Amino acid sequence: MMKSPTPPKKSSILPPDKESWITKNPFEEFKTFAAPTPDLPLDQIVQSTEAVMDRIRRGYEKLLEEEAKELVWMVQYNTIIKAYEVAEKYVREVDYTAEDIEDFCFALENTQRIPYLIPGPAGVYISALCNYAMEEEIVLKLSELKTEINLIGFRLSKGKRLMIEGDTGDFTGIGLEGGELVIEGNSKNWTGAGMRGGKILIKKNIGLHTGEWMMGGEIYVGGRVRGLGNIVEGKVYERDKLVYPGKVRYPNLYY
Amino acid sequence: MEKNGYRKQAMEIYQFISDHLYFNRPDIEIKGERFNSAILLSLLTGLKKGKELIIGEPGLGKTTSAEYVCSLIYQFPLGVIWGSEVSGHPEQTEEKIIGRPDLGRLNRGEEDVVWTNFSQIPVKIVDEINRLPETKQSMILDGVDRGNWEYLNEMIINEEYCLFATANYQDGGTNTIIAPLVDRFDVMVESRYPGANLSFLIGKDKRKDHILRHSKYEKELYHILKYKIAYERKISKMEEVCNAYGEYLDEVLGVKSFQRQDRDQIRAEMESLELDLDASAFTRMLLAELSFCERYGQKRVVENCEEGCHYTEYLCRQIKNCASNRLPSSIKQYAQGLAWLMEDSEIDIEHIKAVIPYTLAHRIQWKDEVLSQKERSKRDDPFPIFLAKEAVKTVSQRYREQSEHLKDALAVGSKVFQGGDLEPLEGDHPLYVEVKKDIDTRRS
Repeated sequence: MMKSPTPPKKSSILPPDKESWITKNPFEEFKTFAAPTPDLPLDQIVQSTEAVMDRIRRGYEKLLEEEAKELVWMVQYNTIIKAYEVAEKYVREVDYTAEDIEDFCFALENTQRIPYLIPGPAGVYISALCNYAMEEEIVLKLSELKTEINLIGFRLSKGKRLMIEGDTGDFTGIGLEGGELVIEGNSKNWTGAGMRGGKILIKKNIGLHTGEWMMGGEIYVGGRVRGLGNIVEGKVYERDKLVYPGKVRYPNLYY
Repeated sequence: MEKNGYRKQAMEIYQFISDHLYFNRPDIEIKGERFNSAILLSLLTGLKKGKELIIGEPGLGKTTSAEYVCSLIYQFPLGVIWGSEVSGHPEQTEEKIIGRPDLGRLNRGEEDVVWTNFSQIPVKIVDEINRLPETKQSMILDGVDRGNWEYLNEMIINEEYCLFATANYQDGGTNTIIAPLVDRFDVMVESRYPGANLSFLIGKDKRKDHILRHSKYEKELYHILKYKIAYERKISKMEEVCNAYGEYLDEVLGVKSFQRQDRDQIRAEMESLELDLDASAFTRMLLAELSFCERYGQKRVVENCEEGCHYTEYLCRQIKNCASNRLPSSIKQYAQGLAWLMEDSEIDIEHIKAVIPYTLAHRIQWKDEVLSQKERSKRDDPFPIFLAKEAVKTVSQRYREQSEHLKDALAVGSKVFQGGDLEPLEGDHPLYVEVKKDIDTRRS
């Protein structure tokens, strides 16, 4: 029990020897705590992080504004390419780190400052952020997101490694350009569609149309492949077993 | 490193139950070690004299898991535990739960109480507590809370006791558990389905509980429980038989159970463990979010949040009621138990984060909009535990962002209480406001 060094109160109704009854310090354990001196004052760090986040957020809002003209966002190759070009334009102007990408993913669902989470444009924008990041290896923890984001890993280039903790939506890793995409969870339909090279590793299951119009590269699935697409070139493995090219396995065969 | 081997002994009990008695899958990971939450929390409940509510589907081992843990920690043969359980049903009476008049003596004009086994033994199991009507639940409030059992102006006080209550999910025959009773439970945990394969094994191996039976000691204990002697003397006589049963367990099953002095020593060791600064600051942060209301001074179940409040992103906006003072006590107790079990020298934030969802799940009343927003989320846990885990994740994220500043604010508070003339630190979290309030109170 700590005794207060402050003088006793004048109007106390307690006898003088019982003054310490009311002086319990609720913060006592912190009395020796000294905050480490940061290289930059805390508010500056927060401010700079906030500034980067604001710029990333603004880019996403601009993308949404431009894409809103479409009324309904249809995943068509032209739409994706157009959206990606817009995303590239804004992303190039921001100096950010892989950590900021993860913060942005988290902010997509958890703050009201970002008005809409549309899985398509969000995925295109996140892909652009990953492709233009300085880091060669990026880990995104998406397991806490309630929405599965589409188009993650779009055009991931050679030398880049993107690891996703959690599940992803449709069109994961489409148009992959030699990078390595690792999904710790499940992935939905059209994964690896149109990919030209590189590697996609899905730890769990994968949906329909896997590798549709795939031109090269490899897809490894730890769980089940629900259905293959019309593959032109490349390899698909299911639990270490080569399923394409292989025995007759009709596209989207449910088994 | 521990000197007396109690921790190892406790883990052996955990392992024995897990391997031979209660087939399960691990469902929580703490510092890289995987545990089954039902056995782990029951073990801590037994060791810490806690109160646990076990929920789950019928037939998934809610009662039996508690029985096994109690038998091995308190050295009671299973038959005595069965004979001391109270089952919740609408016709349940005080006479069956607590005690009844001694009719023989009453005929001679004397008033005396025959105490039930439930009120006398330190291991208390209430089966299907939510089948007790609300009015009858109040009968056990005092006993559950303090271990005081009163009947006909007589009273016995349990110095050492732990309580396990089981509850099925809502069906036609269940009632809601009244809020004051719910709050008295330290933790709530689900006894889960072990999976088709283990369930198949359970079906094959029907009589696995006979290994904890011992008819001779059971008879002796029943005999003692009926004795007309002072309760304290009964306890010491029971301990002798329990110790003999403990030796039997060691010889036959190779599992060492705990004697009374062992349990006391373990509790003393657990009590000596304190929270480190992060554990303390994190707990305060969570408590602030669960009790704070800028407009009305604190959360109250009868008052709703105002539109346009600055603190809309915190938990206070999502819940209806205020955290009770029993919550921090439950958190500390179970975190102490866990830290002891993991041989850590103090309670850190990982221990705290592991136990909080189970101490919180039954106590929070979420707003309807939160429930409807999250009820269809993909999850492994029952809804209340899932929501509590999500809440812990959200607060952890906030704590990561501002832990240093928060600890600094608390340190400033400490300095002011020591007589320093400092201004409270500002920050965007209810805890800064709470620190400021305490400082203002101190200064006034």
